Amino acid sequence: MKRRDFLKLGGILAAAGAVPAASSLLHAGGTDVTNGSIRYGMVIDLTKCDGCGECASACRTANNAATFPDEKINNHLLRIAHVKPKFPNSLEQAIPLMCMHCDNAPCVHVCPVKASFVRKDGIVLIDKHRCIGCRYCMIACPYKARSFVFKHNEGFTNPNIPKTMHGVVEKCDFCVNRVDHGQMPVCVETCKMKAMSFGNLNDKDSQVSRLIASGRVHRVREDLHLGAKVYYLGL
Amino acid sequence: MKIYFTKINGNSMGMYALLAVLAIIAAAGMYATYAMFSQGHYITGMNNQIPWGLPIVVAIYCIGLSAGSLVLSALSAVFGQKEFKPFARIAVFVAALLLVGSLLSIVLDWGRPDRVMLPFLYLNPRSIFSWNGFLYSSYIFICIVYLWAMFTGRDAWIKPMGILAVVWAVGVHSGTGAIFGFINARELYHSPLASPTFVTAALSSGTALMILILVSTFKATGRFLDNRLIIGLAKLLGPFILVVLYFVIVEYVVRLYTPSTYEPTSFVLFGGNVYTYIFWVGLILLGSIIPCIILFNPLTKNSIPWIIFASLLVVIGVFCERLIFVLPGQVFPLNLFPDMEMSSDFMDGVITWYQVSVAEIAQGLGILSIVAILYIIGLKLFALLPSEARHLEHEL
Repeated sequence: MKRRDFLKLGGILAAAGAVPAASSLLHAGGTDVTNGSIRYGMVIDLTKCDGCGECASACRTANNAATFPDEKINNHLLRIAHVKPKFPNSLEQAIPLMCMHCDNAPCVHVCPVKASFVRKDGIVLIDKHRCIGCRYCMIACPYKARSFVFKHNEGFTNPNIPKTMHGVVEKCDFCVNRVDHGQMPVCVETCKMKAMSFGNLNDKDSQVSRLIASGRVHRVREDLHLGAKVYYLGL
Repeated sequence: MKIYFTKINGNSMGMYALLAVLAIIAAAGMYATYAMFSQGHYITGMNNQIPWGLPIVVAIYCIGLSAGSLVLSALSAVFGQKEFKPFARIAVFVAALLLVGSLLSIVLDWGRPDRVMLPFLYLNPRSIFSWNGFLYSSYIFICIVYLWAMFTGRDAWIKPMGILAVVWAVGVHSGTGAIFGFINARELYHSPLASPTFVTAALSSGTALMILILVSTFKATGRFLDNRLIIGLAKLLGPFILVVLYFVIVEYVVRLYTPSTYEPTSFVLFGGNVYTYIFWVGLILLGSIIPCIILFNPLTKNSIPWIIFASLLVVIGVFCERLIFVLPGQVFPLNLFPDMEMSSDFMDGVITWYQVSVAEIAQGLGILSIVAILYIIGLKLFALLPSEARHLEHEL
């Protein structure tokens, strides 16, 4: 073997060694999100939810959501809706609403720059460094899960999470930074009624899978066939 | 018949005064745009319930005018209407300029216009916007090649380029309609009729605008314009208006008939709000019925002042149609829980009115002024306008 060939071979071997090293960066916090074994979902037990709204305020603080006194531009990543049937004296039901992390997400379909995408583990994310702020996703989302940052966001309540800049769109990301470090989304952790559960839909022994298997769960606007991954018990 | 195209002199005081006024409006529009980015988009009328406002209306309106005026140029090149050949160059030029205007309006509406090249870097084949980015930019390119073929006298190119341009114009405007028609989430958007309605509205508004531009330009430059040519264009305008009206009627009757879409549709048609007036007064009465009466009435259909008046009404009427297309679909709340009452502190279940702001109006007028300035400069730099526009029969 000539010296030049030896150097070439060494280069190839070094490159081969670098590939697994680089791919290990994707295994953030020890969970492998790339092999498709994990599909995150959430089940919200509406029979337990009393609509206190603590999940919504904890979400706002933990995710640095753009917060302004003007309600029209105040962003809600998670909100409590009050829903009641059109009957006299019917009972009002509190329903926490957020991004439903659809498998067939319309926001992902319409994004002209692929800034919105469904990660391998099913979480719908926004690349805020790529988003052009055209707001087509806000038009397309049937859940009104997305909010535009209408001006510079002064609040910076959680230094561990980057806040969204003026001019792009933000939404619930299942607290992806917490999930990647093995924690629960902040709403699930905050709920004092333990009404929310989060976990792997592909694991049939997980709490979310067992609740869904009970057959009593529904999703919001199932008629749109979006494959939403937030399920409601008692909807 | 040989048609001579010449540049305009463009030295009169009137023209400089006009340019100065347009420049002031354009500067105001650019300042409003600057304010949107330095202070924030909250100074517009848009909010989280209504993410698309006047800039999108202006953009799709300009695209419509563009597609319509291009078809006018193709009348002589593709459809054998030789008498319209004097307008071939100016129509393509106006089409390209209006598309520049609409692109300006779209890009300056974004939260991050500095990322303007990203749609070309990261094409998403499932996104209508991505398709439109490709269609709009290639459409400008086709217009330029088409103009170049006409300027350099490449007669063999003109017909194929004309056919390509017409096909592209239909594609461009179908794509624009599809932005709304493909949205399943909103009852007032989701419709297979959106694209054909947009194409026909483009034809009527584009023809009407070209009548206005031709009459005013020929008058301002003191060139001869044969009345029969304008009357010939007006003969096309009448049927175009009727087709738009037919599509609008079909769409709204279907939506009224369907229980799940009855509520938002009756909100527009019978709600007694601003959109009810825009629909009935702007679109139906002023934009369709009165122009049709003028254009089909033997007493008025050959009168140039009446035709100009009808064209003006059509241009306004199609703008109203665009408003009705874009805004009520957002103003009327999304229906997350069908047939239930819903409320929240995020504007759910309540009607949120869109209050257009001064900044948006200034930006829209500014962009239209930029288009007008470019039009005048174009007339001065290039031989776009015929020295006289006579009907073919003068030859015989």
